Amino acid sequence: MNGLIQLLNNLLNNYGLQQGFIAQASFYVIAALAVVFALGVVSSRNIFHCAIYLALTLFCIAGVYLFLNAEFLAVVQVLIYVGAIVTLFLFAIMLTANIGDRTIRHTNKQALAGGVIAVIISALFIFIIIGDPWRKNLAQPQPSLTLQEIGKSLMSDYALPFEVISLILLAALVGAIVIGRVKKE
Amino acid sequence: MVSILTFIIMIAVGAAVLGFIAVSAMFLIWWERKVSAHIQTRYGPMRVGWHGVLQSVADVIKLLLKENIVPEDVDKPIWWLAPFFAVVPSVMVFVCIPFGNLFGIDLIARDLNIGILYIMALTSISVLGIFMAGWGSNNKYSLLGGMRSAAQIVSYEVPMIISMVTAVMFAGTLSMQKIVEAQRGMWFIFQPNMAVAFLIFVISATAEINRTPFDIPEAESELVAGFHTEYSGMKFAMFFLGEYTNLFIVSALAATLFLGGWQGPFLPPVLWFLIKTYGIITVLMWVRWTFPRVRVDQLMGFAWKVLTPIAFANLAVAGWILLK
Repeated sequence: MNGLIQLLNNLLNNYGLQQGFIAQASFYVIAALAVVFALGVVSSRNIFHCAIYLALTLFCIAGVYLFLNAEFLAVVQVLIYVGAIVTLFLFAIMLTANIGDRTIRHTNKQALAGGVIAVIISALFIFIIIGDPWRKNLAQPQPSLTLQEIGKSLMSDYALPFEVISLILLAALVGAIVIGRVKKE
Repeated sequence: MVSILTFIIMIAVGAAVLGFIAVSAMFLIWWERKVSAHIQTRYGPMRVGWHGVLQSVADVIKLLLKENIVPEDVDKPIWWLAPFFAVVPSVMVFVCIPFGNLFGIDLIARDLNIGILYIMALTSISVLGIFMAGWGSNNKYSLLGGMRSAAQIVSYEVPMIISMVTAVMFAGTLSMQKIVEAQRGMWFIFQPNMAVAFLIFVISATAEINRTPFDIPEAESELVAGFHTEYSGMKFAMFFLGEYTNLFIVSALAATLFLGGWQGPFLPPVLWFLIKTYGIITVLMWVRWTFPRVRVDQLMGFAWKVLTPIAFANLAVAGWILLK
């Protein structure tokens, strides 16, 4: 991807355009697409379409990671979110009877509570993003991390969060089994 | 310095890869028909060209010329997009498949340092195409086929990825080219614990690409044709292209991860790679035309209760051998 961007840059330079123009332009295209697809997720009336929009949004976010030179993160994003989580969503949708019918409401009565929670979460995100210096060079390429470095920091500096996350996942797994288990009368 | 020439080379490489995919898929369809015919003591296609080699070309022309039929009650956007979701990820995988080298040039589009992870990610999303076809067709057979396929692919992905990780641990790298070079002295398959990983990989890969004995997503006797029942013409051909491309990909992966990739004595590397890959493909075809189809419950039980525990135990043994 970087090779292609560099190539297009050089082509455009011959016509007097600014260096880095293509990288920025394609970043904005991908970011805009992510937002458009995200709007599709929440506004589409067909739940299967929502799930497909979600897959496309997650793809675009993987693209944003590529611009930050976080190739590992981008690939893992596609593997986990698109390959596993959206697949499970689609599986659940297919298993649910009549969920695609036009007569079924896709909104519910808790719109007010949901709206309040959404506002709180987005305020939190905006607060974090504004308070952190990395947002200033989000559209510029970052130095690339090798896999070895990521692995070492996960096993040394970030060992505690890493282990806590695995515990949370284990708890979710046990909970899913408890809920899904066939009850013997 | 990147120039117009590089641009032309990039386009040429892309065209070469696409051409290879199309020709390989057509060859594989002919080869499958020939192998199945000879297993059943028939001749198979004999009329078009020498022993019917041009049969697939004739079939492709027929499919291209067919009328584009859209059933009335399909979910149109989903139904139209599904064939592309089934093919495009498979084509993207070819970016880091190491074909060896020719006249000193490495035949790999780009040797990503996360190569094998990239391939895992892309193969895991091609199931979306099957889902979309199953749902979008608005047909009970398609829906059942799509659901069976999803359950199967999600289950068999676990042992498949674990067995790939075993090979990655022995090679100590995720780059496809370096995994091949790590097998310079000895192919991985000659170590007992890698041989187990190879078997797990081949079994779960057969399930991943929906081939007999794991072809319940398109079991003809129960589901007409599964998720692609409602497709015809070129869109049907796209699903077929995706299916045979996936067959090539899993065989190329098995050859690269366990059989030393393009390495071998006397013959040029490209030839070794193709011999190994098409050899594995032929074995998979032999399996397909020999064994009966397994039942749905047997299939899921086998993935979760047999293959996955063996794969994890094998991974632990691999870690123990490496740390010893």
